[in-house]
Amino acid sequence: MSNFIRWTARLLGVAAIASAPQFVGAQEARLLAIRDDATRDFVRQFVEAARVRGTPTEPLVSRALEGVAFKADRKRIEQAMAALEKRLRRSRDLLGAKATADEVAAGADALAADVPAGMIQEMKKLAPQRQITVELGVLTELVAKGISPKVAAERIKELMARGATGAQLTELNAAVQQDVALGIKPVAALELRGRGVMSLLPPPASVNSAQRR
Amino acid sequence: MIEESDELIVRAARALSGMPPTKAGAVARVLMAVRANQARPLPFWKRAMRRFDETSVSAKAAGLLMAASLVIGFFARGTVGNARDSFAGGSELSGTALQSIANMPAESRPVPVAVAVELANAKTVAVVGDFNGWDPSVTPMQRVGKDGPWSATVLAKPGRHTYAFMVDGATLVADPRAPRAKSSDFDGDASVMMVRTP
Repeated sequence: MSNFIRWTARLLGVAAIASAPQFVGAQEARLLAIRDDATRDFVRQFVEAARVRGTPTEPLVSRALEGVAFKADRKRIEQAMAALEKRLRRSRDLLGAKATADEVAAGADALAADVPAGMIQEMKKLAPQRQITVELGVLTELVAKGISPKVAAERIKELMARGATGAQLTELNAAVQQDVALGIKPVAALELRGRGVMSLLPPPASVNSAQRR
Repeated sequence: MIEESDELIVRAARALSGMPPTKAGAVARVLMAVRANQARPLPFWKRAMRRFDETSVSAKAAGLLMAASLVIGFFARGTVGNARDSFAGGSELSGTALQSIANMPAESRPVPVAVAVELANAKTVAVVGDFNGWDPSVTPMQRVGKDGPWSATVLAKPGRHTYAFMVDGATLVADPRAPRAKSSDFDGDASVMMVRTP
């Protein structure tokens, strides 16, 4: 009987050792796409250091692999990762410790688009109990269309305060995109489409209960 | 009771008296050889196995071990081996991968997004982006008909994503029907995809 237990324990140990790399090594396996040894070593060490600092590592790995896809040299990849890590840390500080990795990455993108840090923080305060990944993504895109970061952030905040959902904001962004393609100025398109979304939202009195959902 | 005149004792005494005398220092040499053999370290795995075998395992401990393995197995289901599948478009998803996606909260649940592009002269096209780790092998696109557009479906979480098309395994092309991603990090064009919450 004791032999049976010993052999079972041995088999379980071997299974645990064999399956561990699948958890730990998923990112490592993806790094094999980086053919240059020096670049791969740099990325591996950089990601590990970021992990120790508590920075989400997935956006960093993704940025390195994006660099590989664009045939960027090592120096370019290093610069891109260093800049992104700085933004990710800033974003995490702004969004709070409970923010998800996706949310932190979206905040970093918004910072890259020159959205003022204070605006990101204020947006999070409007929805402290849920992710604002989509809201931050829409904001980044509106700024990319040429709308000033301050104007875009104020409009998004206004809609969020009235209880606009991520889906409604995504539709707003798509509508603005269509308008801009038709030749309407981005700021005017945002104003027009923003009013349209606002008209669908419940009156301010019932917003608090809608936000708690 | 054994008597002195026992025949067996007499034969044994006779046999022993015929053995050659012990050489001086023989005992010491034997002891040194034994000590030297003990001093040679065993390989790590042999020592581990020996220690493991010497450890007594109670029935309670064995039960706990089995229970722990079942619990680990339960929580690890659908994550080991399926983590990549969960975010890889263009290929069929296993039942466990679909189940793990269904269990995610709506705001972070990946949704299928169809992408298509007209690239008449391309031999192979793959969609690459932050949703599939920019890996061209993950989401190869299929041609619709003989000369039709290339299409694929990717799974992407709600939010903003950047992507491009890898043509013939060498050239990255932006989606002409989507907004451009403004990135100063790398030379080249990518596109932006906004995925809404399901």
